[in-house]
Amino acid sequence: MPSRNLVEVKVNAVLQVKNLTKIYKVDSVETPALRGVNLEVGQGEFAALAGPSGSGKTTLLNLIGGLDHPTSGQVWLGQQRIDGLSKAQLANLRLWNLGFVFQAYNLIPVLSALENAAFVLELRGESPAERQAKARAALETLGMGEFADRRPNQLSGGQQQRVAVARALAAKPKIILADEPTANLDSKTGIALIEHMRALNREQGMTFLFSSHDPRLLEHVDRVVYLEDGRVQGVV
Amino acid sequence: MFNLLTLSWRNVWRQRGRSLLTAGAVGLAVFFALVYQGLIGAVENGMYNTLAQAVGHLQVRVAGYRDKRELRDLLIPGAEAVKAKLQQAQPQAEIVVSLEVPALLSGESRSRGVLLVGQEQPPKFAQNFRAQFLQAGQMPTSNTQGIALGAALARALQVKLGDAVYAYAPNTQGSGAAAYKVVALLHFPDPAAEGRAAYLSLAAAQALAAPGGATRLELHLPITRYSQDSLVSALRPALAIALGPGLSVETWREVNPSLAQVLALLQPLVLVMMLIFFVLAGLMVVNTVYLGLLERTREFGVITALGAGPAKVTWMVLLESLLLCLSGAVGGGLLGVGLVTILSKGFTYPGLDKIGGTFGIPQVLYPSLSVWAVLGTLLFAVLTGLLAAWWPARVAAQMEPVEAMRFNA
Repeated sequence: MPSRNLVEVKVNAVLQVKNLTKIYKVDSVETPALRGVNLEVGQGEFAALAGPSGSGKTTLLNLIGGLDHPTSGQVWLGQQRIDGLSKAQLANLRLWNLGFVFQAYNLIPVLSALENAAFVLELRGESPAERQAKARAALETLGMGEFADRRPNQLSGGQQQRVAVARALAAKPKIILADEPTANLDSKTGIALIEHMRALNREQGMTFLFSSHDPRLLEHVDRVVYLEDGRVQGVV
Repeated sequence: MFNLLTLSWRNVWRQRGRSLLTAGAVGLAVFFALVYQGLIGAVENGMYNTLAQAVGHLQVRVAGYRDKRELRDLLIPGAEAVKAKLQQAQPQAEIVVSLEVPALLSGESRSRGVLLVGQEQPPKFAQNFRAQFLQAGQMPTSNTQGIALGAALARALQVKLGDAVYAYAPNTQGSGAAAYKVVALLHFPDPAAEGRAAYLSLAAAQALAAPGGATRLELHLPITRYSQDSLVSALRPALAIALGPGLSVETWREVNPSLAQVLALLQPLVLVMMLIFFVLAGLMVVNTVYLGLLERTREFGVITALGAGPAKVTWMVLLESLLLCLSGAVGGGLLGVGLVTILSKGFTYPGLDKIGGTFGIPQVLYPSLSVWAVLGTLLFAVLTGLLAAWWPARVAAQMEPVEAMRFNA
């Protein structure tokens, strides 16, 4: 059973980023992606990082999610500073605290919708009955109950993305990080997904942080943090 | 509800053709390993029984007999009493008494130097001997002046069944001669043995050379498998002490050191062959697992991003490899055990039996497999799966999730 010692997260500020920089280095050529970003996300917020391509949204989201290592600066998840954690510690932190929704859905093709939604719970070692109940509930919340037994290749893009949200939701993380979740969806499907996530935020108090430049999504969020050239340009 | 085992099983069969080919290679390695072990076991037990039957598991002679030339020096003093002692020490053993006499054997026109063997065999041994080597006629009995000759020796002497042969041999009085009737022809797998085989009854040999004498006492223990041979070595020192310093007690290994060495090489040979089979299969497994890893790098990135740590990712890759190898191993194992079961009723190998005979390999072989041999072979398959996947598993575990999710195969 994985340790839960990284779960102690302060409820007020779920997330804090302090003076974060990330510089990519290829063949001694340095490319700064983030230049001293500061950010705070509170419990129950529905916030977005916005900005043009290359502004650093995805990089910031990856660093917040412990998927990449910053060049300098700090990332705090509640009371836990995470930027210096080892690979195994970061995996454990993600498993118990973070939910992810990716632009390309990234479902596991050999698993059904229900099994995909239960995947994180399986990694946590929860019992089959518990996993099934939580995953089914998450799928039904997102209107995907009747597609539970379908494999990803039998689902539309919008349906796949809803399963991906269900996967994040079923594990009840402290915060769901969603990277361009509507980018591959048509207008109607995108709006439906946004409404689903907004309802989850309102009804269950789930904290969301998006990276997006989709105006349909940005209209619905509480706060938009604008990035440009790796810097915060403004907050609306 | 799924678990990591079912996930791995489904992943194994995503590339059905490639996985079938690899599982087939592992299955083939298991099949060959089992059949090979069955055959080598049959050869081993066959050689062991041929050797033990020919010379006894243990043999008693006069001490230093290899350096003695005169018949009288080779005679075991008080042979009957020694036989009784042996029988008392090992009541379950069969004892064969032999008197070996160097002699000149002549037909009507030709002569050959031979070692006449007068032998008193328990009925079971006499029956086995007849079944294995008697080509024509009846073996000589104690109340006849009959002689059994190797068919090659009979040809060399230009005699046939019913003809007379004459033996001239040293005896305890100086030298002796006797006429015998050829009553049996013998066939031995080893042509050299057939060219010098001449058997009398013990009584006839004693009448020719040494009344009441014997040069060799063979102790045949109720052991039929080579794996039980440690009992023989364990028994030897106690018998040597019981019989005293004037007699030597030798195991069949000491009597036949060169064939014993061949026999001792068989098991290491099995191990080497199994290693070769499994290394080749393992290379295919490495290839399949690594290709699967490359094709699913993004997926591993996602799994890692969702919270699977290095240990869990390592285990997932190892599990896939294990399932792949085990599915092949079960198929190959069933086929291998099936074939050995069919062959276990006995099979001949025409064309090669003469070569086999020179090494004491019987003409009919009975392969068999122990449960341990089957389990050991399956363990080889499991180890192949683990070792072959270890490196790809470490590569997967060390992937950075962001880089893995960006990866394009």
